Amino acid sequence: MLLIGILLAGFAGLTLFSYDRNFQIAVALATGISYVSWGLIHHHIHRDLHFEVFMEYLAVAILGTVIIFSLILQ
Amino acid sequence: MQLLRFLHHLFIPHESNNQKGKILHPSSLTIIAVFLVGFQLLLNVFPRGLPRVLGYAANISPGEVIRLTNAQRAANGLSTVTENANLDSAALAKGNDMLAKGYWAHFAPDGTSPWSFFLSFGYKYQYAGENLARDFSNANDAVNAWMNSPTHRENILNSKYKEIGIGVVEGNLAGVDTTVIVQFFGAPLGNSPSIPIAQAQEQGKSVALKPSIAPKKLATPSLSPEPTIAPVIIRTPTPLPQASPQSISSVFISPFSSTKNLSSAVLGLLLMALSIDIIVIRRKRIARIGGRTLAHIAFLGMILAVILILKAGQII
Repeated sequence: MLLIGILLAGFAGLTLFSYDRNFQIAVALATGISYVSWGLIHHHIHRDLHFEVFMEYLAVAILGTVIIFSLILQ
Repeated sequence: MQLLRFLHHLFIPHESNNQKGKILHPSSLTIIAVFLVGFQLLLNVFPRGLPRVLGYAANISPGEVIRLTNAQRAANGLSTVTENANLDSAALAKGNDMLAKGYWAHFAPDGTSPWSFFLSFGYKYQYAGENLARDFSNANDAVNAWMNSPTHRENILNSKYKEIGIGVVEGNLAGVDTTVIVQFFGAPLGNSPSIPIAQAQEQGKSVALKPSIAPKKLATPSLSPEPTIAPVIIRTPTPLPQASPQSISSVFISPFSSTKNLSSAVLGLLLMALSIDIIVIRRKRIARIGGRTLAHIAFLGMILAVILILKAGQII
């Protein structure tokens, strides 16, 4: 549920504030960081947190953020 | 056969790829991210090596922008603004100035304010405002973008404005062919009518004109006439250098569309790989150390939804 909230907030921030580039940049960064944080907390609660898991979430978040930046910084 | 093996290694969880498609490994995702950054750098370098390749094709008429603006005003219970030839000329001059000097801002690098264009074309204003847009493919998207921005919306829906001028110029800005829209709003000073262009030019040659008002903010109009300030010599309005004739039809690559298409393709590929991953893992009941595939699908799916909705175009 928390992940859904994070993703919905990110989606809303990026689409509704398309006129404010700085805000979009902040939302994109915040969503990426929140995603990684959610992954860490989720796996810590389930006792299967490993370095490889952290790297996987980090790589996915970085890729998503780079894609968003490549468009909003055009 | 080798290709099949390669694809198998890339997408299907197997012992050889540690029970996860190679494309989903952090190293591969990092390589994809670096590739995308490199693509953006290439798009920025391209204009220098091969000018006139990058650009945004557009079909925007000033009349359509005015019609849409008045439609928004009418929808909000406001009177329409009438097109003023002096403001049209001033807006066009501002657009050409931006292309000639290569800037994307309300104020030129040499300090030229948008209001100087008003005065140069004989428009003595009580209130004045400016909205700018670029890289939009049609008037509707540009007006909608302005309406979605509080400060620009304030300009469009300002009851103090009575007249409007639109300048649409096509040219090269920072190495990219684009269409710039300049939207000038104004209310003539008192009862004095706007001076026709020819008369204004004649006066500019020999008379030191005093600006009637100094706007305080760019996107919002001055609210009351200010005392006359120190005389300012208005230079004879000289024709601004026209941007070299551009043929938008010769533009091949839209940076925004290229990035959007590439990003969509990459995300589509990754989502497919994640879907295959989740199906195979559940079928074979493979236990492994890794992130939640569904979470990755949700995150990348959200990114894909955003990039499909985002449109080209900037406003200031």
